[in-house]
Amino acid sequence: MKKAIYKKIIYQILMLMIVVFLYLPIYQMIITSLRPAELPWESPAPLFPEKITFSNFLKAFQLVPRMPRYLLNSFIYGIGVSTISLLVAIPAGYALARFKFLLRKGLMVIVIYANMFAPIMLLVPIYVIMRKFGLINTYFSVILSGSIFTIPLSTWLVTSYMQGIPKDIEEAALIDGCTTYSTIYRIVIPMISPALVAVFIYAFITGWSQQFILALGLIKNDQLMPIVQGLYQFFSRSSVRWNELMAAILISTIIPVIMFLLVQKYIVKGLTAGGLKE
Amino acid sequence: MTKKKTVPYVLIIPLLIAFGIFMFYPLYKVIENSFYESSFLNPFKRQFVGFENYKWLFNFKLFNPKWSYFMSAFGRSLLWVGLSVTLKIIIGLGGSLLLNSKHLSGSKIYRILIVVPWAIPWAMGAMMWAWTLNGQFGIVNSFLLKLHIIKSPISFFSTPLTAFISTILVDVWAGLPFVLIMLLSGLQNIPEVLYEAATIDGAGDFTKFTKITLPTLKPVILTVSLLSLVWTFNSFDIIWILTRGGPLNSTETLPIAIYNVSFLMTRFGGIGKASAMTIAQVLLVTIVSIFYIKILGKGAEG
Repeated sequence: MKKAIYKKIIYQILMLMIVVFLYLPIYQMIITSLRPAELPWESPAPLFPEKITFSNFLKAFQLVPRMPRYLLNSFIYGIGVSTISLLVAIPAGYALARFKFLLRKGLMVIVIYANMFAPIMLLVPIYVIMRKFGLINTYFSVILSGSIFTIPLSTWLVTSYMQGIPKDIEEAALIDGCTTYSTIYRIVIPMISPALVAVFIYAFITGWSQQFILALGLIKNDQLMPIVQGLYQFFSRSSVRWNELMAAILISTIIPVIMFLLVQKYIVKGLTAGGLKE
Repeated sequence: MTKKKTVPYVLIIPLLIAFGIFMFYPLYKVIENSFYESSFLNPFKRQFVGFENYKWLFNFKLFNPKWSYFMSAFGRSLLWVGLSVTLKIIIGLGGSLLLNSKHLSGSKIYRILIVVPWAIPWAMGAMMWAWTLNGQFGIVNSFLLKLHIIKSPISFFSTPLTAFISTILVDVWAGLPFVLIMLLSGLQNIPEVLYEAATIDGAGDFTKFTKITLPTLKPVILTVSLLSLVWTFNSFDIIWILTRGGPLNSTETLPIAIYNVSFLMTRFGGIGKASAMTIAQVLLVTIVSIFYIKILGKGAEG
């Protein structure tokens, strides 16, 4: 009995250590954003805020007046990337899950391989292509190139979700005289909606803020920068206004965090399930 | 029936177009560019130089008299990625075993707590850490000072060694939730019956771990390690925001070096040289991908 209690305590301590590590920056962000900006910093800095204020959230917008614009830009990038990802992933994922065709296995391998690519590897040629089409400094440049890096996992999520549900209903619809395309539209899309929500949110979050380097390379116009770049400008000034910056980060992180929490279950499922099934 | 045969090909057209224009064509361009010398400002005016750019990888030296600029970045990348992924897997495996254990009360709450940091974009996380590890006012220094572990605050990002370690820790922070959750979902798939049978046979906790848990979890550990390996190799945001590769190149991994050579250090760099460096990065990622695809293929047979 005693041994079990010791075990319980040790396990609890070890788990708490991991949680503390994961929450250290989040805690720092929260206490800094709530601490009055007028209070001078002292070293060592207090572990709890001496006073609490919400004025930093307002001041962040005064200090960087373009904050709403940056947030809107991120929103546009998010919606753009997730829309294109869905438009490509739904038909491709359906084809890979339901049909046996010549290129199928090879295409699946390519989808998995493509998921391993990062923007840094293709940034220069993408820049050149975008310049050729006159798309530098446009929303399109980041949305189009950004989608490329979300399409593989999106397709994979749709495929693996489809492989998990029986074909009967679609087959019944086909026998009843629906064409394949109307079956996709009327039967398949509603059936796989959980996977589609997961894809939408995964791609939205990536477009919202993960593709830092694409905007770094393709956008030079301040008006079109996503929120990460907006915050980054603020951050790289000689004297950083930490209180307001942390408040701004809190504001711009809360949307993707809430969205992600809603669908993480499906993303985990998609990443673990599937495999190169026949 | 003939009509039906064309359907899958029609459905994959958007995918093929997308991959063709923005993935294969750029990849082909990278390979082609690596044999040419051209400036970033005028990429259409260029000159064929054969393997000169590849020779440059091994000849050009900056700051370090012993190793070439590329080899330093390459070696640094291997070390940085190796340490980071190892830490992620060890802590992730430990943490997931804890979460799956009956002896841990409140594991449901812990599970939710772990997902939240996963959702934070890496770039934002890096900005939070920049302040958390601030040399004067960061909370990490406060903790260490108040616990009397150190006497004066550490400037984590100003010396090469501390900057190297700090960026690894931040990368572990960014990747750990993914590893933890994936391994936990793998552990939950191990049938309880196996453990019950082992208990009847009189096996202890350690035997159960080495004879049941590890072998059953092996494919998941491998998949997660390989995915994590690739993502860490490609990691750019975190280092860029925290140190930009400094101080003294100490955190300049391959992706950072590629960015520098293509866009910033145009005097000694340029597209050709950056492309040759990119080929090295692509090769690394391809090797890992081959293992990954093989494992997925095996999983499907079982």
